[in-house]
Amino acid sequence: MAPSRLSEHEETLPAQRAVEIATHAGRVTLENLPGRDLDPDELRDLVATLAADPGSWAHLVGFDDDQRVYASLHRDAHVDVWLLCWTPQNDTGWHDHDTSSGAVAVVAGELVENNLTVATGGVETRVGAGRAFGFGPEHIHRLNGAVRGSVSVHAYSPPLWRMGQYAVSSAGVLRRVSVSYADELRPLD
Amino acid sequence: MAGIDVHQHLWPEELVDRLRARSTAPYLRGWTVHTDGEPPFLVDPAHHDVGRRRAADSRAGIGTACLSLSSPLGIEGLPRAEADGLLGAWHDGVRGLPGGLAGHHRGWASVPVVDPDLEELSGLLAEGFVGVQLPATTLLTPAAWERAAGVLAVAEAAGKPVFVHPGTVPAAPDPVPGWWAPVVGHVAQLQACWWAWQALRGRELFGSLRLLFAAGAGLAPMQHERHAVRAGRQMTLDRDVFVDSSATGPQALDALVRALGIDVLVLGSDSPYADPLAPAALERSQGEAASRAIRTVNPARLLDGVDRWSRMAGHPTGRTTIHTTNHTTGQGEGRAWRRVG
Repeated sequence: MAPSRLSEHEETLPAQRAVEIATHAGRVTLENLPGRDLDPDELRDLVATLAADPGSWAHLVGFDDDQRVYASLHRDAHVDVWLLCWTPQNDTGWHDHDTSSGAVAVVAGELVENNLTVATGGVETRVGAGRAFGFGPEHIHRLNGAVRGSVSVHAYSPPLWRMGQYAVSSAGVLRRVSVSYADELRPLD
Repeated sequence: MAGIDVHQHLWPEELVDRLRARSTAPYLRGWTVHTDGEPPFLVDPAHHDVGRRRAADSRAGIGTACLSLSSPLGIEGLPRAEADGLLGAWHDGVRGLPGGLAGHHRGWASVPVVDPDLEELSGLLAEGFVGVQLPATTLLTPAAWERAAGVLAVAEAAGKPVFVHPGTVPAAPDPVPGWWAPVVGHVAQLQACWWAWQALRGRELFGSLRLLFAAGAGLAPMQHERHAVRAGRQMTLDRDVFVDSSATGPQALDALVRALGIDVLVLGSDSPYADPLAPAALERSQGEAASRAIRTVNPARLLDGVDRWSRMAGHPTGRTTIHTTNHTTGQGEGRAWRRVG
């Protein structure tokens, strides 16, 4: 039987395999996109490229304790790219990206990624400025800023469409709710 | 926050009177409409009763409704003298509705196909018409868009959008059912207009023009993969080219969101020919955040060009895509995602 896609890299988490932005920037750019959906490594290299080019997004940076700040940097048929600005109070909640792969490059501050585990409830990984990681559509996570002033570049391929949000009922039962990506990146103010 | 419906039809008394006075298409006899291409059809007078329509909007959570001339009647393409009289009646009728051009009902300006008066259009837009509507039949090819450049430039200079609305459908060579024109003819027109704009690379000519295509541009955006294969060109999303939701349902909306994202979808119901998307129905289909974007935030940006989300982030230009959100925990059952374990 062919190995499950879920078995790939099962020893480590995507955030634990983060790479240096400086060494990966320039490998994939908005100008040389392949004209198809990108895999997690390609997305990682794309966000590294954008992270290394603050001139394209620095004017969009802003912070708000109550409301995470978003800016759309690019969208085409295969990939959408966002700038996110964080404070420790900003929290994505637990979510997945349905069929999309994704990537995160931290350009300032530090992000905290949590992943669900059945045995212990969760694993926390910190990703500091200058590092980037990619993940597949099977990835479930929760992100928040470790320090005020954290800034990150995110990319998704195919562009986000539906997402899963997770909640725990009062009885402790985990539930998934299918939502439009707008609930994540164009939410209510 | 009340919804903004950018695409409704209501015939003011002035226009109805003018249509009844005519003896060649388009004309009205009683409430039966006669056109050149489509079979005669009976209109429900209640559909053009301002009070009833406003009450229906209120029930659907619509606070502003932008009225559009019914381009399939073919008024814009009549000889100038005839077109001018009917278009004048249209503009006068919209002005005469309760609240004038700033009331619950607002209006799209329309221009004749032949030699439109650009100064007059400029005046209509300055006066308060929300933008200018062009029949899709006048924009079917790249060259046709170029011929409309004068009108497009006036709209761009005024900071007002251009609305591409289905136009007349020629009589079919064989018998077809009554729904043929809206389901087949109008969709084909809108698809042609969408691709003609892309083929022209219209954005390079009109850098800040905002466009609205009716009915999801006939779902042309779903053909982008075919276009990429045949044209060898990938398209980047243009946030100033909007499509409305008229006569679409949850599946078409889902497909449009997948192809275009959420920021260019606007509520345009085509009422009374289709029902406005009631908040509850839209939320069931797309969720609360998408519903709010489609019903209020995006239509407001279509009409005035201001990105309200950017203001919240303190961005000075007001034209970027900044948005902020609140993901703090403990906001109630639906949105409280507390940590597991």
